[in-house]
Amino acid sequence: MTAVNPATAAPSRVQTPLKRFVVEFLDSRVAVLGLVVLVLIVSSALFAPWIAPQDPYDLSKLDIMNGMLSPGSADMDGNLFWLGSDEQGRDLLSAILYGLRTSLLVGFSSTTVALAIGLMVGMIAAYAGGSLDAAIMRLVDIQLSFPAILIALILLAVLGKGVDKVIIALTAIQWAYYARTVRSAALVERRKEYVEAAQCLALPRQRIVLRHLLPNCLPPLIVVATVQVAHAITLEATLSFLGVGVPVTEPSLGMLIASGFDYMLSGEFWVSLFPGLALLVTIVSINLVGDQMRDVLNPRLQH
Amino acid sequence: MKQQLSVLAGILAAVLLGGQASAAELRIGTAAEPSALDPHYHNLTPNNTVRRHIFESLLDQDAKQRLIPALAESWRTIDDRTWEFKLRKGVKFHDGTEFTAQDFVYTVCRIPNVANSPSSFTLYTKGIDSIEVSDPHTLIIRTAAPYPLLPIELTTFGIISAKAAGGEKVTFDKAGCKADSWPSTQAFNDGTLAIGTGPFKLVEYRKGERIVLDRNPDYWGAKPEWDKVTFRPITSEGPRVAALLAGDVDLVDEPPLQDLERLRKDPKVSVVETLSNRIIYLALDQAEKTPTIKGTDGKNPLRDIRVRQAMSMAIDREAIVKRIMNNTAEPAAQLLAPGLFGTNPDLKFSYDAKKAKELLAEAGYPNGFELTIGTPNDRYINDEKIAQAVAQMYSRIGIKTQVDAATVNVFFSRRNKGEFSVYLGGWSAATGEASSPLKSLVATRIKEKGFGPTNYTGYSNPKLDDLITKALATVDDKEREKLLAEAMKVAVDDVALVPLHYEVTSWAMRKGLSYEPRADQYTLAYAVRSAK
Repeated sequence: MTAVNPATAAPSRVQTPLKRFVVEFLDSRVAVLGLVVLVLIVSSALFAPWIAPQDPYDLSKLDIMNGMLSPGSADMDGNLFWLGSDEQGRDLLSAILYGLRTSLLVGFSSTTVALAIGLMVGMIAAYAGGSLDAAIMRLVDIQLSFPAILIALILLAVLGKGVDKVIIALTAIQWAYYARTVRSAALVERRKEYVEAAQCLALPRQRIVLRHLLPNCLPPLIVVATVQVAHAITLEATLSFLGVGVPVTEPSLGMLIASGFDYMLSGEFWVSLFPGLALLVTIVSINLVGDQMRDVLNPRLQH
Repeated sequence: MKQQLSVLAGILAAVLLGGQASAAELRIGTAAEPSALDPHYHNLTPNNTVRRHIFESLLDQDAKQRLIPALAESWRTIDDRTWEFKLRKGVKFHDGTEFTAQDFVYTVCRIPNVANSPSSFTLYTKGIDSIEVSDPHTLIIRTAAPYPLLPIELTTFGIISAKAAGGEKVTFDKAGCKADSWPSTQAFNDGTLAIGTGPFKLVEYRKGERIVLDRNPDYWGAKPEWDKVTFRPITSEGPRVAALLAGDVDLVDEPPLQDLERLRKDPKVSVVETLSNRIIYLALDQAEKTPTIKGTDGKNPLRDIRVRQAMSMAIDREAIVKRIMNNTAEPAAQLLAPGLFGTNPDLKFSYDAKKAKELLAEAGYPNGFELTIGTPNDRYINDEKIAQAVAQMYSRIGIKTQVDAATVNVFFSRRNKGEFSVYLGGWSAATGEASSPLKSLVATRIKEKGFGPTNYTGYSNPKLDDLITKALATVDDKEREKLLAEAMKVAVDDVALVPLHYEVTSWAMRKGLSYEPRADQYTLAYAVRSAK
């Protein structure tokens, strides 16, 4: 008798985890809709330089004489401004597409880096235990006791403006969430038999951590990460709205909302409204996808 | 039902009457807030505005910047260099002590001794050579050279109480007065030394929130209508207008330009406006090394006059005025609105992007360079938007321009540290004539002479300095005006800085109030009246 791998030995109608995940994910129509919208948003942001009518970051292409055009109006040369323009003559549709790029870039990259850092720190804490664990977790506690926006504001005041700096600031405030999540997941997993078995086999420590513990801690992390992407995007918008995020000549969604904010009462609503809608739709679609992933990946909800 | 209605009417009447009873309170929403309550800390319009309520000066200016007596009742020249000021008798400080000539002496002594002053008033005290107190209510002021601007300059700084600050023994010395210690700016901010002779007393100062003033019952002059005045800084434009429309404040300064049309039509609001004495300009750093220019191998291109000319010519001032300022400004060719004393009617601005590009190429920058413009984003009307529009126009001639916008306090401290190669600034001519911007912005910085306190560009032209010095020493008005106009031409021909436009200042208030618009942009609560 050879050792039988339970996965291959199981009857063929039981699917692989990935397949099951896909099938269960598709159960929810709302989540699928969210996914479709999200894919649309991500791809239009990715291809912004090719589909946007104007490069909103190239100041030599802007003309203040085209400032505050209402949605659907055209300039002297017949260029149409679908969603109107801001006071600098920036085409809002283009500015939104480029702004989405910034938002998504900041959201995803800060989440990824924070996830990596948090994962590492959390794993070390959980596996090492003792005083190192206590020290790391107290640091996490301290960090989490400050409002995220406050830490980000202080960091950006020190670092200055720029997309890279926003990513650094958002990474710095997010890693703690992951560290805490990973640690609690890893603590549970650590006491399970397969880890004990691995330890009995005298496998090297990093192998146990990386090959055995880590994959089993991932599902809760993925859920946290999806929610955090949306959170990071909102934070970036907030920071830009407050004027500490990106430079004013390269507006992100938050900054567009802020610059239109002064005109809201004057009846020139579009500068704030459309970027606001874009932000809203992005966040909602990410959250819809994230919610469904949580339901699917949650072992307690699995049948 | 009827009963209910009458109850309702009663409540309504009570609310309305309640509103009437507190009508002696005036709430003002301001676009910018003072950086300190110390009257000598920072020569900045919001500071000077609040200062005028608490501290008075020897002389004052009316809404059109004509001289009027204040703490000095009358003044005359004894000879070219000697002035006599008769001080008002029976004027009391807020703490009940009497105002005397010593308070003036102490004030002049203290002005150069304010620690870390970002923009000092020494500009206005340097002309004074000696002060003689012939009796407690008579001052004899001598100047080293004939100094016709003395009375106007005496309107710019507020007089503090020598007694409260422990300076009763301090005597004036041109080389520097002697005192054990000088009052700190903090002592004014926390109210301990906020003791003046003005029509209002300080009650509360909360930075970022409000400044509350109470009427000074012992005020010597015309009693203001308001028992209580609250200044609330509401730096965002939309909320400021909303606060006015909602009745949270009675009057706002700098109503947003995009709302002016609507406000004028609103039956519950009235709007007043006037061309101000403020110039909005770009300062061009002309030091050897400059921080925010890249792509020039470490050289500072702004030292080349052709580059500066190009940078002036590249700006379409009319477009800025039309689109960004909603026509509530005048394009500028010099440092003070033409028509005012000492301006030069021959100076014109030109817009020629093609020629600007050629000039850049001639100067050795055919591909331009990279530049970051610093700007405050809550100080001048639409400041950040103007800077962005300028960035646009510069980008079109090949200067890749970024805008670094910061809130007013951060901006000023960074500017003072020389962190910007080009920054957007504003200068309000407190004296209402051309020597003010010339002396402050483009004269070579010489602390002893009070020249160039706001010249952060390192620009220096001996010919210009000579003209200004000569003008300031010329008593004959015609001759002085000619010299100033000539100096203005030198500064503009040199592109010492790039004038953009003169602000038109407006105020919006609820119907029933009236305010005479002031060229100096001050919002003075005691000049706000309710129409009866």
